[in-house]
Amino acid sequence: MTSWFDHTINGLIIGNIYALLAVGLALIFGVSRLINFAHGSVYVVGAYVGWVAVSVLHTPFPLTLVIVVALTAVLGVVVERFGIRPLAGAPRIAPLLATIGLSFVLDQTVQILFSPDPRAVPMQLPNWRVAIGGGSIGVLDLLIGGIGITAASALFAFLKLTKWGWAVRATALDRDAARAMGVDVDKVNSIVFAVASGLGGVGGVLVGMYYNVITPTMGFEATLKGIVAEVVGGVGNVPGAIVGSLLLGIIESYGVALLGTSYRNLFAFILLIVILVLRPNGLFASRRQLPPEPMTGTFVAPSRPVRLPVPLVAAAAALAIALPLLVDSGYLIQTLTNVWLYALLGLSLTLVAGTSGQVSLGHAALLAIGGYTSALLALNLGWPVWLTLFCGGLVAAALGTLLVSPAFRLRGHYVSIATLGIGEIVALVILNWESVTRGPIGVAGIPPLSLFGYELYDTNAIYWFALALMAALALLQLRLLGSHLGRTLRAVRDDDVAARSFGIGLNRYKGLAFAFGGFFAGLSGAFTAHMYSYINHETFNTQISVLALTIAILGGMGNVGGAILGSLALIGLPEVFRVAAEYRILLYGIALLLLVRFRPQGLLGTV
Amino acid sequence: MISRRLFLQTGTATIAISTAGGFAQASEPAGEPVYLGVSGPLTGPNAQYGAQWKQGFDLALDQINGSGGIKGRPLRYLFEDTQSDPKQTVAVAQKFVADKRIVAELGDFASPASMAASPIYQRAGLVQFGLTNSHPDFTKTGDFIWSNSVSQADEQPLNAAFAVKRLGFKRIAVLHLNTDWGRTSKDHFVAAAKNLGAEIVATEGYLPEEKDFRSTLVRVRDANPDSLFLVSYYADAALIVRAARQTGLAVPVAASSSIYSPKFVELGGEAAEGVFTAARFFPADPRPEVQTFVTSFKAKYGKEPDAFNAYAYDTMVLFGQVLREAPELDRRTVRDTLARVKDVPSVVYGKASFDTKTRRVAGARNAELVVKGGSFTLWGGGKATN
Repeated sequence: MTSWFDHTINGLIIGNIYALLAVGLALIFGVSRLINFAHGSVYVVGAYVGWVAVSVLHTPFPLTLVIVVALTAVLGVVVERFGIRPLAGAPRIAPLLATIGLSFVLDQTVQILFSPDPRAVPMQLPNWRVAIGGGSIGVLDLLIGGIGITAASALFAFLKLTKWGWAVRATALDRDAARAMGVDVDKVNSIVFAVASGLGGVGGVLVGMYYNVITPTMGFEATLKGIVAEVVGGVGNVPGAIVGSLLLGIIESYGVALLGTSYRNLFAFILLIVILVLRPNGLFASRRQLPPEPMTGTFVAPSRPVRLPVPLVAAAAALAIALPLLVDSGYLIQTLTNVWLYALLGLSLTLVAGTSGQVSLGHAALLAIGGYTSALLALNLGWPVWLTLFCGGLVAAALGTLLVSPAFRLRGHYVSIATLGIGEIVALVILNWESVTRGPIGVAGIPPLSLFGYELYDTNAIYWFALALMAALALLQLRLLGSHLGRTLRAVRDDDVAARSFGIGLNRYKGLAFAFGGFFAGLSGAFTAHMYSYINHETFNTQISVLALTIAILGGMGNVGGAILGSLALIGLPEVFRVAAEYRILLYGIALLLLVRFRPQGLLGTV
Repeated sequence: MISRRLFLQTGTATIAISTAGGFAQASEPAGEPVYLGVSGPLTGPNAQYGAQWKQGFDLALDQINGSGGIKGRPLRYLFEDTQSDPKQTVAVAQKFVADKRIVAELGDFASPASMAASPIYQRAGLVQFGLTNSHPDFTKTGDFIWSNSVSQADEQPLNAAFAVKRLGFKRIAVLHLNTDWGRTSKDHFVAAAKNLGAEIVATEGYLPEEKDFRSTLVRVRDANPDSLFLVSYYADAALIVRAARQTGLAVPVAASSSIYSPKFVELGGEAAEGVFTAARFFPADPRPEVQTFVTSFKAKYGKEPDAFNAYAYDTMVLFGQVLREAPELDRRTVRDTLARVKDVPSVVYGKASFDTKTRRVAGARNAELVVKGGSFTLWGGGKATN
């Protein structure tokens, strides 16, 4: 029995740590309605500023905290002023992409300045420990808890009692109305980013001291957990974020106790999905609260799509077909093969997210389902590869739609968060379901691609196969978008209430969109698996989901040509920047930011 | 490409100057350079390992080029960053395959990334040489895929013998990184330990991003082990030993050689004291290849080398010898020479030779160490054994 007590304590300790990020995320979401993917990067910056203060400047602990808060708060203001504010008039999706670009830039800058090696952050507090249950807790545990609770109470008081707090809440409720009443919305945003970032920075340095290790890449995982905790508590709800964090910590800890360590995140993400489905406003939202995304239709903003002249498209297609004959560069052809495969993924997401408005952040799961299905059918049952590719697409369509179906009732950001969770669940199931997927060892020796009994090894042959597949499905999607189905899906996206009152069954159409999207993505994943010959649970990771969304947004939501162009840009750019060696991902992040800044509706515009 | 080559050349030039005191400096050979391609992570979550490779490579290159290079030509490498991401390794593979200057390729780091590129190297007839690829299927793609990574089937029985026979572990709880490497290692360790009569009371696989081990360790504590064995990298091992203290799990800890790094002691602090490991080498090892490596590494970088530095250094030294012995510097001859070289001096193996069937090296050495007074020291005065 003592162990359950210990597990509870452990859960509270880790929950304590999640709370440091969740509170900042909640605050920013509350005001800007934005999932700030750069928040984890601010936390990383805070950790490294703290390291410099402690190890180089030898500052005492309180001064270390002051320095960290000051610098990260300034960073938050800069992020808001130059990353987010210029996009105020752009579709909601643009700032989301901007925060992703910002996180690349910040993480890479830290990595270049401080090297990727993990560093130890010397603890500046006395190492007193209090025995509790079978284990013990230290001063830092209490301090982290104290800072979390104090910050939340202070924020709560600030929001309820001060004039600026009212302004923040008014802005959170209705930005335009607040502005009309004379609230300086920009200033409110600045304050919110400064406060949230300062808190995130303190979180970074405290967590660094707690574990005695900081790395430039620790932000992403931290953001992920922060988002889960925030949603559990109710997005935008600051005290809720703390309770959500503690609850998440305890559930994870019990999950480990029941099934083992590799199930920890499975519990976290299942909790997320359950909360989203049952109480999308979080555990502590009042029943009278407005629905989470009251302003439908603004999430993906309409814009005039760029009409590509037919001769230009024909010329580009002819060039793409003839390219392997014109240049002798396996590198270029391979890169373009990757481009076509990611274009297929982009087509899938642009249909799901752009045309029907379901912004998915878990698309890598569809690749993984397609890839594993095709690889295992070909390897275990010896089916021909053309058939297993097709099966990979079908299974991804069926399973993908089934898995996402609980999220059909959600809207806006909630769909993104739910699909993010579903994506993680699929990856963890692949890792743990060893009898079928071979767990972490992965599937090796996957047969090569083949067509009509001929095995395709040649780089050019694989290129043409990928191009043909992509082109055929792109044409199919164009046809689809021009049909009544495309119009219906766009109606669902633009105003689901109006669509429903016209008698459109929302879930069926969302299901159809996911089925088509799943097929495209599954095919892409299956193709990739046979091309690589080896896959494991890490081959299709969360970064690929983020990349898929970036492709779709960059190209222009719902835009078929845009998905192809977006894939060309985002797979091509890191290769173009190869000469810059360690700096290339930094350049990639900057390029992404500039693209979002000047083409927030995407390169070719929303269809 | 010009700028990159220029960068590499000026890089090597400054290095040559900075180490001029360490070696009787022969001027670098002036001929057309011989190139190796390196595919590895310089950005992204595994960037630290690519950076460690570079240090090991550069050190070995100083020595190779300082003593005449390859038949009067300097040896160089072209490092392409892949973030250990399969879609980038396949593109880089095509790039290397098409670059006629490259005679062999080294890397990549993680298995999904490395093995995705293997079919391309195999078909093109360019050696893909895995420095850290212990995945049991890595070299199976074909006869151009080689590795000098220590096979876990070799390493783990040595660890089990150390833990069970010499340290007297009887009820062992195993924590392992839940990746292909961690899983394979864990399976070999468990089998070997059971053979020696020990009981495995718990096994827990954790994800690479895991930071919090308190819950895991309470679960382990409930199984009532008398010892812990870790299949971990140094950063996670440091987190685990710290959390073990906090959860009141006071049992001796042993770990696989992958934790061997000065960083383990730095990150683990006091909790790292008394942790056992069977490392490939240790700085006081009197073997000349180890002494050359450790002293010149310290002279060049001002710190102790770790396991990944050693793998990279060994690999470059091996290729120095292979390319010197190869009658021609074409890709096929390089592969044939890999099969022929015998007893290449190696930090990890003592003398390295390949088994031409598995295209791997057998017989890693190990030194049984314990952390004492903030550094790794030889355990119980025993000798390094084979």
